[in-house]
Amino acid sequence: MTEVPGQTAADLALDDRQTRPKNIGARIKRTEDPRLLTGRGTYVDDRQARGMLHVAFRRSDHAHARILSIDAAAARAVPGVAAVLTAGDLADDAVPVHAVSRMANYYATPIRALASDKVRFVGEPVVAVVAESRYVAEDACELIEIGYDPLPVVVDPEAAVRADAPLLHEEAGTNILVQREFKRGDFEAEMFAAPVRVKGRFRFHRKTPTAMENRSYLAEYDGGRDELVLHSSTQVPGIIRNALSEALGMPGHRLRVIAPEVGGGFGGKASLYPEELVVALAARKLGRPVKWTSDRMEDLTATSHGFDETIDAEMGLDHEGRVMALTADVIGDVGAYSIYPWTCALEPVQVVSFLPGPYRIQNYRGTVRAVATCKAPTGPYRGVGRPISTFVTERLLDMAAHRIGIDPRDIRLKNFIQDHEFPYRIGSGIVWDRSSFTDCLEAACKAVDYDALRRRQAEARAAGRWFGVGIASYAELTGIGSRISVAPGMPLNTGTETARIRIDTTGGITAAFGIASHGQGLETTLAQVVADKLGVRVEDVRIIQGDSAAVPNPTGTYASRSTVLASGAATLAARTLRAKVFKAAAHLLDASADDLVAEDGRIYVPHTNKSTTFKDVARAVYLEMGRLPGEAREELEAAGTYDPVLGTTTSASHVAVLDIDPATYAIRLEKFVVAEDCGRLINPLIVDGQVHGGVAQGIGAALYEEVVYDDDGQILTASLVDYVVPAASEIPPMQVVHMQTTSPAIGGFRGMGEGGTIGAPAAIANAVSDALAPLGIEIDELPVTPERLFRLIQAARSRTGDQE
Amino acid sequence: MKPAAFDYLAADSLDAAAAALSRAGGDGKVLAGGQSLMPMLNFRLVRPSILIDINRIPGLAYIEATDNAVRVGALTRHHAIETSPVVKAHLPVLTAAMQHVAHLAIRNRGTIGGSLSHADPAAELPMMALLLDARIAIQSYGGRRTEQARDFFVGSLATSLGEDEIVTDVEFPRLAPGTGWAFEEVARRSGDFALAAVGVTISVRDGKADQVRIGMMGVGETPLRAPQAEALLSGRTVDGALLDEAVASVRSVVEPNSDLHASGEYRRHLVGVLARRAIETAWRRAIGDLQ
Repeated sequence: MTEVPGQTAADLALDDRQTRPKNIGARIKRTEDPRLLTGRGTYVDDRQARGMLHVAFRRSDHAHARILSIDAAAARAVPGVAAVLTAGDLADDAVPVHAVSRMANYYATPIRALASDKVRFVGEPVVAVVAESRYVAEDACELIEIGYDPLPVVVDPEAAVRADAPLLHEEAGTNILVQREFKRGDFEAEMFAAPVRVKGRFRFHRKTPTAMENRSYLAEYDGGRDELVLHSSTQVPGIIRNALSEALGMPGHRLRVIAPEVGGGFGGKASLYPEELVVALAARKLGRPVKWTSDRMEDLTATSHGFDETIDAEMGLDHEGRVMALTADVIGDVGAYSIYPWTCALEPVQVVSFLPGPYRIQNYRGTVRAVATCKAPTGPYRGVGRPISTFVTERLLDMAAHRIGIDPRDIRLKNFIQDHEFPYRIGSGIVWDRSSFTDCLEAACKAVDYDALRRRQAEARAAGRWFGVGIASYAELTGIGSRISVAPGMPLNTGTETARIRIDTTGGITAAFGIASHGQGLETTLAQVVADKLGVRVEDVRIIQGDSAAVPNPTGTYASRSTVLASGAATLAARTLRAKVFKAAAHLLDASADDLVAEDGRIYVPHTNKSTTFKDVARAVYLEMGRLPGEAREELEAAGTYDPVLGTTTSASHVAVLDIDPATYAIRLEKFVVAEDCGRLINPLIVDGQVHGGVAQGIGAALYEEVVYDDDGQILTASLVDYVVPAASEIPPMQVVHMQTTSPAIGGFRGMGEGGTIGAPAAIANAVSDALAPLGIEIDELPVTPERLFRLIQAARSRTGDQE
Repeated sequence: MKPAAFDYLAADSLDAAAAALSRAGGDGKVLAGGQSLMPMLNFRLVRPSILIDINRIPGLAYIEATDNAVRVGALTRHHAIETSPVVKAHLPVLTAAMQHVAHLAIRNRGTIGGSLSHADPAAELPMMALLLDARIAIQSYGGRRTEQARDFFVGSLATSLGEDEIVTDVEFPRLAPGTGWAFEEVARRSGDFALAAVGVTISVRDGKADQVRIGMMGVGETPLRAPQAEALLSGRTVDGALLDEAVASVRSVVEPNSDLHASGEYRRHLVGVLARRAIETAWRRAIGDLQ
């Protein structure tokens, strides 16, 4: 392995000599949990401010319409209403922002606080009422009269691409907001030559993230200083700060975005929202604190949705099951706007980027069109693109294995990129570094006792029962560095991260980051890293995050980046700081800095009684003048910036075991096993939790969750009665096995927050298909609801003449 | 999602509640557990002028065995019914059904009076009331009356309750010792409203099925009985062929609606599957083949 800056043999040797690490790798209980579990966390909606006003939105009930008139006179007259705001009222207060990108064939839709001229989806904010209470604001909302001229509605992305389709954004001249193609090798000739070809039209329906905490924003404007603070339940306070700066025309040093406790995001809080702009603008305009908290109906209709693709894909293989070529055409239904800052390309382009997966597939063509429809915009959702690419590729592999007559496990083992081939550039151009593709699958099969399951299946089939086992293997790019981060052409670098660690006069250690934990336990994880690298205890370190003012280039937490990047930055900063502390300590102890060891906050010379503490060093540096010479009294603060340049490759194999009731068609998940390689584990307890949660969300995608719009563009899943999220009782026992091949990133870590959601849908789709193999049913649409299963089974039975 | 403005009265007696309801002239709503009413208020689907809270009225929450029945007060929470030894002893099918009622938090608040008054066609308690021939006691400002469950449910979310009437208690005739019973339900998730469910009670006389009752839910505008299938089974020995006939009969009489979660066709299929299982289980219990 080549040496990486910050991770050289000399760096590691120095760390080993100067500290006694005991936290990285330990199952430490999350330090956040005592406050979160006892109700002492402060979320945005918990915050009160004097004179605070509340917003309610009048949202579009049309999927596509021109706004002819807005009559808000009656609403303005309601006692307690401070303001009623329309796009016209805010025209001089803000400019629209755009998710710009240098991608060819891309149109960046303007993003405004409120709809002007047109509405493009049901739930789009049109008018904001600002009032003394949410009750009054909602009462007044009902009195607003909006005149609409309905326009033809576009709900089917395949109809939307036709030349005569009504346009959502006339200026774009098309509903195709972006299209791209990836090609490698002679895919046409190889596909033609392939003796075994399997293909399908795959459908992965629209989902919505449904974080436990709905979105909530509170803006406070200090008119005397012209300063604005936005408390936002966001994953990306830094990115929101940048967007507000652009929209409101204020420099960043007079804008601060704070993400306090945030109750889950899953990608749904990783973009800029119109409501965020409205709250900020209203606070500045009215000079009073303004809060809006989404209700669940607003969350389901107006928080960014995810996924929603149709994929026509074909795989060609030789007789032994080696893949010769893969082609795919993807249509992504991206909804009404190109979301800021990620663009509408993010989700569907990732599908074609990751379709070749962890396999040696050199001949590849993938095309993708991101198509605007009259639905809520899609944005990042845990897994981004990869749940779909994995679903398609893993289904095709199983279909091929079935056709050829080999075991699904063996076809994967045959096609995996092997250890000696890393780094490996796949057909779409992504480069995998070393990761345990083969080992993960073998470990998963061992953990689940795969051979025994196949024997059980034979017995079950003989008895007329439907029992299925499904495998899904995948690789993902995590902790991406600057070179990958800029590839989509956005003026946004998410590939670096800075840590600033400071020891104050009391010896207190504070480490500040640009990330924004929203349930991942990053306060604990990063404290473990800082503690080990400095030689102090976890409880000695306070982590600052979720604050745009913490570092110069704050971004947030998404894309499985935070642990890799922030740990790397923390390591670099801690090394520099440790050197400063050791310099002072060496003077105090009359020893050489090279002989010192830091452990649990104590600094000592081994095998002597010379010892001091971080606290005492801080006193000597800052307060007790005369103990140290001037050159040893450096301010105890250091910054480190880390850029993994490319990123890290995380991989996993999932195995789902289930049975299907042959009369009711109810699916019962019996067991779920994950073997994953996220490199070196910092906190196995947290890693296991992330896998469990991700798999649960993947189970939702596989069996339950689907956003449904009718032909008029009305959303039918506007409550949690109709948008069906699995609860604990729907989640089977899980087993997680860790591989821990160290990555080239500092610390050897890889990102892993999303993987559960990537593998589970494919594994379950394969298991359901496997269970129903006697009927010849191949699952090509997720979620597999009982209704879909009923139709498939009825159709298969009428084909075969089989009876229940 | 905040309710429109309403007045609120915490009634301290049934008389006071009924009087307030009467004064509201059809514009009042009774608040018991609030598990359906509160979301409807928040969605502004209902806009009562006054909410009459009956939670503080003493003596409305009880489960008691009488000589031939089990009486349940209207304010009795689902969880109390679910865990009641009296119910388990005399109405084991009700105990079984209660485990399917929503989630624990909801069962801790929701009440039997509220559930019957709300009359969701896919809710367990209305179906159990119909299956078990419950008698529902009702109070209004003017007086008291009782209604048989079969006359009480008149449509989806609609009952025979007058606009000034409150359910006060429900009387379930006890099941005779040895009665076979079963409850089968399919829902998308544990605790969801049923896609379909079937409850059955069967007695045995001279080795033949007797007093057969089949209740169904989720497959019509109200909970339903299956009188044709009940008649079909009565006086006969339950076997595979008879089950086929009963299933066909059950499927032929329901007209289930389609919604997001299931088509009418799938619900019809399900109700047959569940009827087969429930009849078979109840029969086996009745003949002592199953505990």
